[in-house]
Amino acid sequence: MLPLSWYLIVSAILFTIGVSGVLIRRNPLVIFMSIELMLNAVNLSFIAFSRYLDSVDGQMFVFLVLTVAAAEVVVGLALIVFIFRTRRDIDVDDMNVLRG
Amino acid sequence: MINLTLEVLLFPLLGFIILGLAGRFISRTAILTIACGACGLAFLCAAISFFSVLGTPASTFVSNPAAGDQIFYTWVVSGDFQVSFGLLLDPLSAVMLMVVTGVGFIIHVYSGGYMEDDPGFWRYFSFLNFFIFAMVLLVGADNFLFLLVGWALVGLASYLLIGFWYQRRAAVAAAQKALVINIIGDFGLMIAIFMIFTFTAQKDGTGTLNYFMNPGAGGPLTGVFTSLSTVPHNYWRVVVICLLLFVACTAKSAQLPLYMWLPDAMEGPTPVSALIHAATMVTAGVYLVARANPIFEVAPLALMVVGIIGGVTALFAASIALFQLDVKRVLAYSTISQLGYMFMAEGVHNYSTGIFHLITHAYFKALLFLAVGAVIHALGGEQDIRKMGGLRARMPITFWTFVIAALAISGIPPFAGFWSKDEILGSLFASGGRLGYALWVIGIVTAGLTGFYIFRLVFGIFMGSYRGTGPVRHAHGDEEEEEPVEAELASARQPVRSRGSGNPARGAGNGSIFEAPTIMTIPLIILAFLSVVGGFVGSFSLFGDPGWHPLATFLAPVFNTVHTFVEPSFTRQWISTAVSVVVSSLGIGGAWLLYGKGFEYKENKNPFYQLVFHKYYVDEFFGLVLIRPLLWLGRAASHWLEGDALDGGSRAVAWVLRGTSAGLSRLQTGYMRNYALAILFGVVVIILYYAVRR
Repeated sequence: MLPLSWYLIVSAILFTIGVSGVLIRRNPLVIFMSIELMLNAVNLSFIAFSRYLDSVDGQMFVFLVLTVAAAEVVVGLALIVFIFRTRRDIDVDDMNVLRG
Repeated sequence: MINLTLEVLLFPLLGFIILGLAGRFISRTAILTIACGACGLAFLCAAISFFSVLGTPASTFVSNPAAGDQIFYTWVVSGDFQVSFGLLLDPLSAVMLMVVTGVGFIIHVYSGGYMEDDPGFWRYFSFLNFFIFAMVLLVGADNFLFLLVGWALVGLASYLLIGFWYQRRAAVAAAQKALVINIIGDFGLMIAIFMIFTFTAQKDGTGTLNYFMNPGAGGPLTGVFTSLSTVPHNYWRVVVICLLLFVACTAKSAQLPLYMWLPDAMEGPTPVSALIHAATMVTAGVYLVARANPIFEVAPLALMVVGIIGGVTALFAASIALFQLDVKRVLAYSTISQLGYMFMAEGVHNYSTGIFHLITHAYFKALLFLAVGAVIHALGGEQDIRKMGGLRARMPITFWTFVIAALAISGIPPFAGFWSKDEILGSLFASGGRLGYALWVIGIVTAGLTGFYIFRLVFGIFMGSYRGTGPVRHAHGDEEEEEPVEAELASARQPVRSRGSGNPARGAGNGSIFEAPTIMTIPLIILAFLSVVGGFVGSFSLFGDPGWHPLATFLAPVFNTVHTFVEPSFTRQWISTAVSVVVSSLGIGGAWLLYGKGFEYKENKNPFYQLVFHKYYVDEFFGLVLIRPLLWLGRAASHWLEGDALDGGSRAVAWVLRGTSAGLSRLQTGYMRNYALAILFGVVVIILYYAVRR
């Protein structure tokens, strides 16, 4: 069996990729995917810990995270579609009307 | 005793309210009816009250000075202490009410003619009624608090009426000057009242401001006057109270050193000068000293100050009056001088004669002002004696009434001023001592000066030949354009009539000068009659009749604590009278020698003449040492303190805030990734914190 640290390293890499994606990419769809990536990185570490500690608590958290992520995607995609309808464009860098 | 003092107070107040609210919309006849009606009814009530006091035996007022006191309303309640709104009717206030409402009524009627063309007709009469109300409150109040209220309100009425022609800068400046100087006096009165309160509060635990408390049946008399004048009292505290009261008197009655406002107050309409600045308001100081005589009696030092200030003022003002060119200013200085006489009389404990001179002075000085007003009216606002002359034939009634008043003020028998002035001089002479004789000499000299300056006016205005160029435009007519609303209203109501023949052509000589209308001459005649017979209420002891002194007898209950007054002996009285009549005749003769053939103004380089002509440079002096520095201070404060320090401070705060927010708002880029980065950064910091702390 692989040691715990391997899972955690993969999880950290996935999370970092997700963060980088959120920070760098301009397309909200990609940003969304990056967020999902981050969430799943967390899920991975939850599962790893659950197995390691021989406890189901982590797995319950994972189900919760999945549910929330699904709900978030529904709302987020609806927003993106609506923004696209009004602006014919969804580049996040153009959405800076709240600039001070 | 029938006591209608409240009615005396209410009628003018009602007139003021009606005219103040509705005066703008009603006709001039209605305004005049309401104003004169209010004042006339007040006079009627005052007369009824006066005669009922006259019918009450004097012993009533001696045993209970508050016998005629009516309390209507409790104004202030604080623990045991309370001040109520009450009116006191006693011989002194009855006489004062008669003078105020009587002369006031006559002048109301006269004003109907004098102010005929003025666009501010309703404003004028509402102010005039307001003044009568305030003055009645002043003389009728039964406690010091309401005395102060009346005292301040007459000052306000005076301010409003001096500045009545508010388009003139000079009038506004004069009004401000009068108000500021009077506030000094009001302040003195206020401090005096505070001290009186602490005094009475120490004495009986609760304190009172009433002159006299009604003791009820057989109870002991209490009140300010009894508690301040009965032993044990603190002499110096009473002296200070008296001096503070007298500060108020010097401001209101235009005595040295606070007299400067009265000559400037002549910027107001002439009937106002007659009513407020000659006959009634300026005598409030004389009234106050007479009213507070029980206090002054236990503070002889303060009374001495009263006498000295009165004497110095009498001489000082009379000397300024000698060479003034503005006829109204001559009369203003003359008023100051005559008020000085009244204070001199009070300074030697002779209060009733002070009041006597107040009454006769009200008659003849009001008459002088009204007659001069008729002249000014006929000349269309000309007040310069150099442009008058020869009006005797054109204005016979004005001329003769003016001569009567002039004889009265000079103290020529048998006119009113003779009786009162000679009683004053007699008692000064009789009181003896260095002070008495000094004041007597001052009084005699002043009498001579009075004869001179007043007959200088008689000759200058009425004798010789006319030196002007016909009536100038009406004094306030040329201001109408600047008063669009009222001028519009006035012309909507009736076309503004021009004076006299309707053709005030310039250069027409005296052909276009006419005697005043009947509404103005009748008041002159009434006052002339009073100036002739008004003195007969005084003492006839000069002619060996010791029984006839009705006014003194009438007023005696008010002054029954005065024991120090010295009755002049028969011989002394004759000496004093003879000297004063001779000296004033000399003054009149001097005026005749100089001006008998017509007034002629000559430039005079004599330094003494220049000194007197420029009123001893008092205004210039105060302008230099007081007004200029104060103005400088005000400007400096508004520039440095307000502009730089206060405004600068708030500007700095605003600048800092604006800079900070500009810096912070730059963080709000609107780019999502910046926010995400910030969040990430925050998370990293928090994690590091926990990691490192562990």
